[in-house]
Amino acid sequence: MSSESSKKRKPKVIRSDGAPAEGKRNRSDTEQEGKYYSEEAEVDLRDPGRDYELYKYTCQELQRLMAEIQDLKSRGGKDVAVEIEDRKIQSCVHFMTLKKLNRLAHIRLKKGRDQTHEAKQKVDAYHLQLQNLLYEVMHLQKEITKCLEFKSKHEEIDLVSLEEFYKEAPPEISKAEITMGDPHQQTLARLDWELEQRKRLAEKYRECLSNKEKILKEIEVKKEYLSSLQPRLNSIMQASLPVQEYLFMPFDQAHKQYETARHLPPPLYVLFVQATAYGQACDKTLSVAIEGSVDEAKALFKPPEDSQDDESDSDAEEEQTTKRRRPTLGVQLDDKRKEMLKRHPLSVMLDLKCKDDSVLHLTFYYLMNLNIMTVKAKVTTATELITPISAGDLLSPDSVLSCLYPGDHGKKTPNPANQYQFDKVGILTLRDYVLDLGHPYLWVQKLGGLHFPKEQPQHTVIADHSLSASHMETTMKLLKTRVQSRLALHKQFASLEHGIVPVTSDCQYLFPAKVVSRLVKWVTIPHEDYMELHFTKDIVEAGLAGDTNLYYMALVERGTAKLQAAVVLNPGYSSIPPIFQLCLNWKGEKTNSNDDNIRAMESEVNVCYKELCGPQPSHQLLTNQLQRLCVLLDVYLETESHDDSVEGPKEFPQEKMCLRLFRGPSRMKPFKYNHPQGFFSHR
Amino acid sequence: MERAVPQAVPLGQVEVFQALQRLHMTIFSQSVSPCGKFLAAGNNYGQIAIFSLSAALSSEAKEESKKPVVTFQAHDGPVYSMVSTDRQLLSAGDGEVKSWLWVEILKKGCKELWRRQPPYRTSLEVPEINALLLVPKENSLILAGGDCQLHTMDLETGAFTRALRGHTDYIHCLALRERSPEVLSGGEDGAVRLWDLRTAKEVQTIEVYKHEECSRPHNGRWIGCLATDSDWMVCGGGPALTLWHLRSSTPTTIFPMRAPQKHVTFYQDLILSAGQGRCVNQWQLSGELKAQVPGSSPGLLSLSLNQQPAAPECKVLTAAGNSCRVDVFTNLGYRAFSLSF
Repeated sequence: MSSESSKKRKPKVIRSDGAPAEGKRNRSDTEQEGKYYSEEAEVDLRDPGRDYELYKYTCQELQRLMAEIQDLKSRGGKDVAVEIEDRKIQSCVHFMTLKKLNRLAHIRLKKGRDQTHEAKQKVDAYHLQLQNLLYEVMHLQKEITKCLEFKSKHEEIDLVSLEEFYKEAPPEISKAEITMGDPHQQTLARLDWELEQRKRLAEKYRECLSNKEKILKEIEVKKEYLSSLQPRLNSIMQASLPVQEYLFMPFDQAHKQYETARHLPPPLYVLFVQATAYGQACDKTLSVAIEGSVDEAKALFKPPEDSQDDESDSDAEEEQTTKRRRPTLGVQLDDKRKEMLKRHPLSVMLDLKCKDDSVLHLTFYYLMNLNIMTVKAKVTTATELITPISAGDLLSPDSVLSCLYPGDHGKKTPNPANQYQFDKVGILTLRDYVLDLGHPYLWVQKLGGLHFPKEQPQHTVIADHSLSASHMETTMKLLKTRVQSRLALHKQFASLEHGIVPVTSDCQYLFPAKVVSRLVKWVTIPHEDYMELHFTKDIVEAGLAGDTNLYYMALVERGTAKLQAAVVLNPGYSSIPPIFQLCLNWKGEKTNSNDDNIRAMESEVNVCYKELCGPQPSHQLLTNQLQRLCVLLDVYLETESHDDSVEGPKEFPQEKMCLRLFRGPSRMKPFKYNHPQGFFSHR
Repeated sequence: MERAVPQAVPLGQVEVFQALQRLHMTIFSQSVSPCGKFLAAGNNYGQIAIFSLSAALSSEAKEESKKPVVTFQAHDGPVYSMVSTDRQLLSAGDGEVKSWLWVEILKKGCKELWRRQPPYRTSLEVPEINALLLVPKENSLILAGGDCQLHTMDLETGAFTRALRGHTDYIHCLALRERSPEVLSGGEDGAVRLWDLRTAKEVQTIEVYKHEECSRPHNGRWIGCLATDSDWMVCGGGPALTLWHLRSSTPTTIFPMRAPQKHVTFYQDLILSAGQGRCVNQWQLSGELKAQVPGSSPGLLSLSLNQQPAAPECKVLTAAGNSCRVDVFTNLGYRAFSLSF
């Protein structure tokens, strides 16, 4: 067996070396197949199971042999060596079998491995193929999805709706028969139609653009034409001025005024606007004009750098020329005062015409630094007035508008902030400058829209149109009433100074036909003198004798009786009645403190004045009061009870018809005159 | 002497008129309420003002306490005379007498309880009522004035019971002689007449001006004021203020007062009188002038002593006349303050 196995071994070795070198050997191999012993082929032939059994048997045999050897060796003996040798040879054979089996196992293993390897390679190849195919599939799927998602640009176009399309499109485009069934064709047709429409519209657009260009050019031409017209119109307006004046339609003048008005300071502007509006709307007798220099007004608003430059230049010049002479402190202060009281160069003039053709001229000024307005008044009449002595103050510009509203005497500045300004330049009160600057009445401020609230001093007071408008009508009416009542008084004074009490015919009914007492004197007295009279104390204490009133003294006489009447004339005449205080000198001096009847006479004239007002506008009040005074004196003297102890007849026989001579605890005389019965009774 | 001149307040038409009215106001009559705490004053415009004496006299009195609590127009003409019963205020002026309830009077818009007019003879002119007198025993009211008669009116029924004629000129004042009962009346004709109420006849006549001691012809003969204290009577006016003994009709004391007196009254052992001139004069019965206390009005027409038992703290003398003020004298020696319309 060992030779067989070595034989087996050798060819194997030769074959394995020699095979790859020569190709011819392959043929020779196969030829030598019959000759060689191919172990590999043997593997295929043998059954692995049987080999395993052989292996187990061999191992058993080897174990048995070894055991026997062992036995023999242990027993020892002579034939043992031969038996051991025998057994050794047998074991070698068995070893050889084992080796073969081992070889076979190895070859089987190798074969198995090769087979596995092959199979595995195949599987791998298939696997790769599968992967490739999968990839392709995925790719194709992606492409399909892309294709499916593809939106053609045509879907973004807003096509006209189907109905419209079929309505409007011409049949060669719409091809209804085809397109109805086939949506693809339909869409194509619609797109066609769309394209056509767009082309058409683009044409139109171009046409319109060109039209527009043309029209713009025409407009340009016409504009030039019109602008060349303006100077021609101006010249026509100039030429029409004389015609305007002839027709009393001073449009140009009004236009000029409005131009000038733009330069007015705000309060004067408010006044101007409101007065013009009021004049046009309600009162045709009011006329408004602006006076003053517009250039100066414009000069006030020169930019500050220029004026500063000018100042510094002029200062430098002044310093050079008048280095030695500095202005004295007084002169400096004077200049500062003048600066503070400076008036705006423009002023507004209002002319109020009254029924009897007398005119009240009001000139309104604006004091820039003090932010107040002042007014100067002048009354002119249609005919020249001869001023009676006592009427001196009635129409004087200083006092004619005093207390138009109660307490508005116009001697103090209405702006509380002015006081601080005055302190700086040493002005005590505006009263000293009022003659020159005009009176700062409160109603003047209101007409200019300036409101100076007493409780909360405001930093800047701005001119307010609504304030002016709300006061305009009342003030104008009051002004007119004031002028007319003053003029009426003026006339009446002229008559009173001659001793005649002018009673108009419509007031005759208030008095009996025969009045014997006569007015002998009518003079004006100064305020201080009035305060010094002994019979006027009550009026003074009641606060009714302020320095804004006018004071007069009248003297009524009859026989030996002399009645002095001190009269307080309030500027608000005739809505506020004149107040009389009497002193009778007849058989002693009787005043209201020692004779109740004198008190009653005063009451008749002062308290019951409403009966004496006469027809509106009650300008007859004063003269009626004076006439009544004469009547009262008559009654008093005639009803005096005769003193039995004195001899001789009564000085004044009773001529008046009286029902009763005395009445009541105070034994009042009958002072009330009853019309038309003509008798006297008690109140 | 420099007088402090009040600042002239800017006065509109209404303020000036009101000031003039106040200057020319005359308060003719006064009457104290039955509780003693209020004083009613009537003026020549026909208004009645109710002042709270308790408020004005209290220690916390302010300026407003001296103003009337309420003022209302009572009559069309002047209110010449007022008198109070235990519940009503009776006021009379131009020809009629009106009654007001004291409890109602303090409310605004008070209306009179009743008004009566005595039967007058003349219709040409309504005569004034210068004096009212209460006769508690009969519960009647006596009115006298311009028609020269005394009329008696029963306060229960309002009927005019008697008309006493005798005066030849209008009647100024009345006084009651409790004991008899007799009424004294003084008039413009210069006579003081005594009337017996039960018989309704004139019992006695004193023609004051015929007595040389007291007559003052330059003032006239009219009797302006009367007061009586059982047997004694004091009267004044044109003639001098004189104290008379009634039974003998003789003048016992002549008070040397030049100015005619318009109101006279007995008080404790004094005689108080007031008239032309500012002062309230206090006379002893002997004829001596005890004191002359000046008031604030240039002439006084009425004096009122608040002797109501219910309000002893308001026991004051009030004087009113030719002004809108009522002077209050807490102590007869000086004028404490003035209430003003």
